[in-house]
Amino acid sequence: MPFVSRTFVKAGMIYFVLSLIAGLLLEIDAVSLPALMPLFWHMLMVGWITQIIFGVSIWMFPGRNREEGFVNQKWGWLTLILLNSGLVLRLIAEPALGYSEAQIWSVLLVGSAVLQVAGGTTYLIEMWPRIMSKKQQRKKRKRRRES
Amino acid sequence: MPRPSRWMIRCSFVYLFLGILMGAMMLIHKAYFIHSAIWMLLPIHIEVTIFGWIIQLTLGTAYYMLPRFLEGPSRGDSRLAYVMIASLNLGIIFVIADSLLSFALPFDWIGRIFELAAVGLFVKLHWNRITTYRTS
Repeated sequence: MPFVSRTFVKAGMIYFVLSLIAGLLLEIDAVSLPALMPLFWHMLMVGWITQIIFGVSIWMFPGRNREEGFVNQKWGWLTLILLNSGLVLRLIAEPALGYSEAQIWSVLLVGSAVLQVAGGTTYLIEMWPRIMSKKQQRKKRKRRRES
Repeated sequence: MPRPSRWMIRCSFVYLFLGILMGAMMLIHKAYFIHSAIWMLLPIHIEVTIFGWIIQLTLGTAYYMLPRFLEGPSRGDSRLAYVMIASLNLGIIFVIADSLLSFALPFDWIGRIFELAAVGLFVKLHWNRITTYRTS
């Protein structure tokens, strides 16, 4: 399992725990935090499920570059950094916007949206060419060996 | 990777991108007003990300990765797999159309029936592939 996939899965597990804590808080009437519901769903669906799919698909789908390192796995690492920084920004800015109207929280929320779109895009750049038939896979391997 | 899986996984990638874009628009709208109709995107965002992205990717990957038959077509009748893909995607499109526009026909119901048919076909195609190659 490549390092980037292990990092995806471990980050996903942290979000899984956090999302269930948020789910628990949602059940306590005395606790009222702004934006807790969307944060619960996004930690679960983006932080955990999408992130574990990203990590496992980068590892298991055909055509993976087996060389480790940031340069060799750049799209995977960029996806991890962009997606997680976007999600962390959201976790900070969305509840903060419920308490304060300061411009900074709005700017951070827009930043979070942009980072998450960028993270999705880098994942697709990595994965789209790897969705190939066995024949295409053999050709790609042959070309790699020749170069 | 077999063709039905390639189609499903590529479709799921398209839905992922659309889902993220819609989510980003709604998130930006929370910070800066874009349009009052933006929240109409919420049910579509949910449908696209859950059925279009997560479920479709899972089904496409299972079709590729689960143990294959040792005799006959290795993954069963591929025509059924194509019907499954068409049914799932038609279902998603019908449900989305129902969220966007008002029709005389209950498009959400029709969509869910297509999705149910796709899942039924998935179960039919994969039930006997949930097996082990060990003899003892």
